[in-house]
Amino acid sequence: MKTDDLIAALAADTLPQPKVRAQVLRALPVGLAVSLLAFALFWGARPDLAAALSSLAVLKTLVPLATVGLAAALAMAQVHPATPRRLRGALLVAMLALVLLTLAVSLVQGGVSALVAALSTPSAAVCLLSIPVLAAPLLGALLWALTAGAATQPRLTGAVAGLMAGCLAAAIYSLYCDKDMVLFVIPAYSTAIALVVGAGAVLGPRWLKW
Amino acid sequence: MSVNDLDALEDLMRAANRGDQVSYHRVLTAITPLLRKVVHARGSALGREGCEDVLQDVLLAIHRKRHTWNEDQPLRPWLYAIARHKVVDAFRARGTRIELPIDAFAEGLPAADAPDPTTGRDMEKVLNALDPREADIVRAFGVNGETTAETAARLNMSEGAVRVALHRALKSVAKLRERMIE
Repeated sequence: MKTDDLIAALAADTLPQPKVRAQVLRALPVGLAVSLLAFALFWGARPDLAAALSSLAVLKTLVPLATVGLAAALAMAQVHPATPRRLRGALLVAMLALVLLTLAVSLVQGGVSALVAALSTPSAAVCLLSIPVLAAPLLGALLWALTAGAATQPRLTGAVAGLMAGCLAAAIYSLYCDKDMVLFVIPAYSTAIALVVGAGAVLGPRWLKW
Repeated sequence: MSVNDLDALEDLMRAANRGDQVSYHRVLTAITPLLRKVVHARGSALGREGCEDVLQDVLLAIHRKRHTWNEDQPLRPWLYAIARHKVVDAFRARGTRIELPIDAFAEGLPAADAPDPTTGRDMEKVLNALDPREADIVRAFGVNGETTAETAARLNMSEGAVRVALHRALKSVAKLRERMIE
């Protein structure tokens, strides 16, 4: 087929393609509903939820949610080629640096023995298992929605989608988790989220191909 | 229209995104020589027909991903990003069967039945593998230059159904080409 003939066929097709934002808004509520339903069935909110949310422990929910927002902004730039993304990337890195800095300060104050004590609880294993499970439907929905875009770095975009899914799942899980020490929350949540990031990075090249 | 006429190009693309076929045709026609140069610069080892196949892949990708261009951004960086991605893809996939350019040997041979240099090969394979009705619609618009109304009358379909059928057919084409490249 001649290129001019292909152009004629393409030009005749003026039906709009679905926008990425529309696809995300379509898919994410479905994934979120599945995760929340699973959470309500198998986890449930901690009994002292109201008290926890009015203490500093609310950061367990708010920091992941803020990270979801930053990661979403980066992911949207990544699937729209030639969109400036340096600032969005920098904001996300700054957020991660802030979390790591908080962990470092707590570690200096408490020492490694405090870290070991904080993590020597069955809750650590529960956390490492729960967040990826709650994240799975979210990651599936996000990757599906992002296929509407044009990811030029599919592995990285998959990882950012994993970060979104993992942080959103962490925010949900935080409503159940009754461990509020920094030396538990940051290492355990971060490791669990990192597993989801890894899953996104593995799935990205295949799912986000175009 | 000149490709350097950047404002015009972006205005046309905005009109195209609102369903203006004539503007869209002009955008695609204007950017094709530019894209051909990009593909040839990177992909001369693919041979002339291989390059034209990659160019057609790039055009299909532009078509299928045109909604990922932010209308307040310049168009050219977006075009280059799409083209670069598709050229790299083509190289990764076709790297194992790179063809020697025969142009050097062909010099001095009679050019009487030289093939049209803008003809690709993959597209015929794809159209042959496509559902016959879908292939017919792509050929009707592309090769035969039919209008929506003409195709609708010939196939006894409504114009809306023809538009949807063409849209789906081009989606199938893009998917089949992806699978062929793998």
